[in-house]
Amino acid sequence: MNRRRFLEHIAQTTALPAAISLAGCSSAPRLNVYNWSDYIAPDTVANFERESGLRIRYGTYESNQEMLAQLLGGNSGWDVVFPSADYIGPLRDLGLLAPIRHELLTNLDSLDAEFRTPPWDPALQWSVPYMYGATGILYQKQLVPAPQSWADLWNPAWSGKITMLDDAAEVFGACLKKLGYSLNSGDPSELRAAAEEAGKQKPLLRAYLNAEVRDQAVAGDVAAAQAWAVTAAQAIAAAPERLAFVYPREGFVRFADNMAILRESRRVEAAHRWIDYLLRPPVAATIVETTRTATCNGAAYALLPESVRKDPVLYPAADVLKRGEWLEPQSSGSQRLRDRLWTQMKSS
Amino acid sequence: MTSTPANRLRAFFLTPVATVMLATLGVPLAIVTAYSFLSRGPYGGVEMPWTEENYTRLFDPLYAGIFLRSAWVALLATAGCLVLAFPLALFIARSGARKNLYLALVILPFWTSFLIRLYAWMFLLRDTGLINTAFISLGLIHAPLPLLYNEGAVLLGLIYGYLPFAVLPLYATLERQDPVLLDAAADLGATPWRALFRVTIPLSMPGILAASILVFVPCIGTYIVSDLLGGSKTVLIGNLVQNQFTSSRDWPFGAAASIVLIVAAIAMLLLMRRSREELL
Amino acid sequence: MKRALPLYAAFAYLFLHVPLAILAIFSVNASRFTIWDGFSLRWYRAMFADRDLLESAANSLIIAVAATVLATVIGTLAAYALWKKASPWLAGSLYLSLVTPEIVTGISLLAFFQWIFRYLHLRLGMHTVILAHVSFSIAYVVLVVMARLRSFDVALEEAALDLGETEFGAFYRVTLPYLAPAIAAAALLAFTVSIDDYVITSLVAGVDSRTLPMVIYAMARRGVNPVLNAVSTVVVAGLGGLILISERLRKA
Repeated sequence: MNRRRFLEHIAQTTALPAAISLAGCSSAPRLNVYNWSDYIAPDTVANFERESGLRIRYGTYESNQEMLAQLLGGNSGWDVVFPSADYIGPLRDLGLLAPIRHELLTNLDSLDAEFRTPPWDPALQWSVPYMYGATGILYQKQLVPAPQSWADLWNPAWSGKITMLDDAAEVFGACLKKLGYSLNSGDPSELRAAAEEAGKQKPLLRAYLNAEVRDQAVAGDVAAAQAWAVTAAQAIAAAPERLAFVYPREGFVRFADNMAILRESRRVEAAHRWIDYLLRPPVAATIVETTRTATCNGAAYALLPESVRKDPVLYPAADVLKRGEWLEPQSSGSQRLRDRLWTQMKSS
Repeated sequence: MTSTPANRLRAFFLTPVATVMLATLGVPLAIVTAYSFLSRGPYGGVEMPWTEENYTRLFDPLYAGIFLRSAWVALLATAGCLVLAFPLALFIARSGARKNLYLALVILPFWTSFLIRLYAWMFLLRDTGLINTAFISLGLIHAPLPLLYNEGAVLLGLIYGYLPFAVLPLYATLERQDPVLLDAAADLGATPWRALFRVTIPLSMPGILAASILVFVPCIGTYIVSDLLGGSKTVLIGNLVQNQFTSSRDWPFGAAASIVLIVAAIAMLLLMRRSREELL
Repeated sequence: MKRALPLYAAFAYLFLHVPLAILAIFSVNASRFTIWDGFSLRWYRAMFADRDLLESAANSLIIAVAATVLATVIGTLAAYALWKKASPWLAGSLYLSLVTPEIVTGISLLAFFQWIFRYLHLRLGMHTVILAHVSFSIAYVVLVVMARLRSFDVALEEAALDLGETEFGAFYRVTLPYLAPAIAAAALLAFTVSIDDYVITSLVAGVDSRTLPMVIYAMARRGVNPVLNAVSTVVVAGLGGLILISERLRKA
């Protein structure tokens, strides 16, 4: 093949996708969805686009803070976001959320009974639960002794191979639990003690990573990580012979991610259609199977295969779950102290 | 100013740049300065009252430590760049006909993506990266060396990233030097090494100073290098500022840190003007 | 010393180029790990199938072209005017834009846009990114064009004026052609700086203006990604090729 034809070939293979993607910036009505990374099945967006005629712009984030920072200005451009339960209150108080109109949601009853009246939004006025999870320890099976509690993540033998989540509530939560306090504590002395623990751990850490730790754990770069159950489940699926997950003995964070519509959105009906689509049991079930999440959708849960329903990482036994505590929003004084201690600890 | 055609043309030509600079430098910096004296809202955002608390917080040994550490890392990176760049610039300046080729070979990687060049080092230094994999398969080590996510990696990244910045001004100065001076030194009995240290280097001082500033200033405010190669454990000023404006949502504090950083950069700038290497 | 210098230079060049060469080599590695497993183009295929990646590349190109055109025009005119008669404030602001750390430029622009958008009802998007890129590129353009102007004999302009040209005519017919190579070089510099920018862009980009560096950064942070090797190779080859072509054109 001579050089000219080769160049033409290259041009064609790049021009076509580029043209398609550019043409995509076209006239179909849009919906901008901002979600956690790896929290949806590969074909969910495409299927929804085909069915609804809408075009989805799908952006991802790695932390609630990253999401909140974008939203604070009130003109971020996003329509639907997926905040964790402890952020629903603050977002509502900041006037950033639009009310959910139940009459536009036909599949609301698919939700599991526990999530029809969740503590953070009992009437589901502002949010619709999506997926829930907990935080535990993802570790390499070859580690001896296997980690069983948060205190094990302070083990100097694994120095340089431990990671913690890049999230103040999670890290301080683990420290508070290690010290025997509630992870929603607002008590300044308890918080300072927790921050001190975190400071002691920092030299042993490899990095502070959220879902980014998954690939590194699979690759073997990380020995033990504070990780969300969904990240751990995805990692274990990729390397089942090497990785395992444990819910720490002292207790752990339980969280739920919810769908919410931003007040700045001018596409409220379309946003409801998207939410309603994700509430559809078969759709939710597909998402669970491909991304290994734990769904708030009871009807979808019933559709799942036995192996997934009994997965101890995603659906632990009731006595394990009892040790967990839901993350609650903090009072502004407590939040300010936590933010300050976090900045201090990260900067030291 | 009288309205001659020349002056009118000049005003016309200067209007676009003046507008852009005012809108994108003047006003934003004024806003940041204002924010640095305000207070943080409960979840972020900026609100009254006026306070100087953000600046006093910066004098806390913790944050002063970050500034000092950033300056130290930048200093080490600058020294590293100078030491590595000087012989290379010397080689190019003395390479005769092939000068432009050798210079191009230095500039070429610099023209391509800074980000990608950093990623290349991540690829090499990771626990399962090329260096560790090669050493392990050669039997030299049994467990991977922790080459990434520490200050050493950040330093390496800074030096690798800014080396071409140092080569160019050094080359410019060395190229201008008259080779006759070296002949004279040889006639007076100096070995090539002696001539290097007694003649060439002292004469290159303006270039060395320019290269130092060109490397030091970006290094002290670096953000990407410490984030990618330091594993967000290494917090330098750039990381602190970025954090405050994104996940920590403490704009006033971040604004105060930024103002201090800018003042430091301006101080460097004034130092450079004294070296009389006029660029603009 | 005569032998030490070329030897050292060889090592220095290896240091500069080998990391990128290694990325290129592993971009055609069939295995996703750092062990050679045979030749394969699968990562390139994956790269071209990624809609997000391609869209961000298109965005980067659009932004770079727009910012380059604007910055080059504005910068050239500014350099000429400053050369004719200095303006300390303007020169100072250009120096400042060069010397300010990127993170500070980024956050100050973000603060500015967020503040002004409360009144204009706009949001962050391609336009804010382009404006930001124009802002930091102008100083580079002025630098390059000024350097060339210093070697220009102003007598040529005066001759043109004597022959009846207007001020603008003299500039357009006499000075500008002389500046052409510098303008081209400045445009290339502005283009490269714009296409590679991460820090400032990440802060002022909106929902619809994700750029290639932002995607690359997110991938690099996640750690292990062979597609990134392919992307890196394409970008480096593309930009490198652009430089070489422009050098050829300049010499021609």
